[in-house]
Amino acid sequence: MPVDPRDAATLVARTSSVEATQGLAAALASLAKPGDLVVLAGDLGAGKTAFVQGFGRGLGVGEPITSPTFTLVQEYVGRLPVHHVDVYRLDQLSEVVDLGLSELLDDEGIVLIEWGDAILPMLPADLLEVRLTFGAADDDRTIVLRSSGRSWLRRMASLVEAVAPWAGSGSSEVTPC
Amino acid sequence: MLILGITTSTMQVGCAIGGHEGVLASIHSSRGKRHAESLAPSIEFLRRQARVDLGEIGCVAVDVGPGLFTGLRVGIAAGKAMAHALRIPMVGVASLDLLAFPVRWSPRLIVAAIDARRGELFTATYRQVPGGVQRLGGYQISSPADLAGDLEATREEVLLVGDGGLRYCDAFADLANVELGDQGLAHPSAAALVQLAHARALREDFVKPWELEPLYLRRPDAEINWSTRDVLESQD
Repeated sequence: MPVDPRDAATLVARTSSVEATQGLAAALASLAKPGDLVVLAGDLGAGKTAFVQGFGRGLGVGEPITSPTFTLVQEYVGRLPVHHVDVYRLDQLSEVVDLGLSELLDDEGIVLIEWGDAILPMLPADLLEVRLTFGAADDDRTIVLRSSGRSWLRRMASLVEAVAPWAGSGSSEVTPC
Repeated sequence: MLILGITTSTMQVGCAIGGHEGVLASIHSSRGKRHAESLAPSIEFLRRQARVDLGEIGCVAVDVGPGLFTGLRVGIAAGKAMAHALRIPMVGVASLDLLAFPVRWSPRLIVAAIDARRGELFTATYRQVPGGVQRLGGYQISSPADLAGDLEATREEVLLVGDGGLRYCDAFADLANVELGDQGLAHPSAAALVQLAHARALREDFVKPWELEPLYLRRPDAEINWSTRDVLESQD
């Protein structure tokens, strides 16, 4: 679904350890609302699962979160139900239908989808995209948060505040894109 | 021939056993989304209460949707597994047909609507015919507002059944020609499935377990654009 450019905004953060990435994710989780969709983008090893682990911790998930690459969908219970999805193994967009994403999103829970940027045509317009890219040192990561749709845009001020400790280039850059 | 029927396309899980003597036993539960946990124990309880050995079952009938995929995949996988193991054929019946069948005596226009989630409905329209109902047109996806507009435009008395009508009852509240079916008509009944499947079984209108598929109303026909993944894998 095309998104009006006025309904999208980008925020950049930088971390230099897995723990820092998880801390950032936990801070974002404090803003999560039922029905939220978070799309995780980035190469293998960029830290998508680590991000979800931090996010889950922020939502009070007690049990360990592991990669759902082979189970496709895993569910956890925290402050809200967490549905952790990985579409890496899928080849057809039609297989996404079988995951029942509409039901998961309608379930008063949070849905986080690893490699979700590959299935954007199948997703609703309201989402937060988290793109993790490698930095100069081994554990450096640049994390670009792109909010799409009104639901996340309304939370942009809180989002900037939550990310402030990790904000890129010494300031909390918010740029319309 | 005895038929085992399984319905899982909404939040309700149902199973029933029956044949030419009618429905021998049925179980329905709609407390929470526990299809995977409750289906197999329900079938076992049903089988014992109806005093039926698995070997006596000659056909597995399943509700093929449209509906919720978290439920459908449980019911269809279980049905296929049993049909494979028992070497018996299957019958697939659409969820919306199952909603319309129990109200087949109504002279009104019958509209079945299942909650497809996120503001959408799966719908189909039926009219009474001798011995059952006949579907008018195909299975559709609609919004509550669009369906309300369509129902108003029929200028006919309408009976709206299914959990979709109940969830969005406000959208239909102002329509003088529409009456909503109550909670008892909200979910596809496994007893109705056994009855409908029995008529098909008499005609030997079966499908093989590996040929049976859920009914998809919005199935995109495209591959995922995996430029990122394929580049990564070609480097390995």
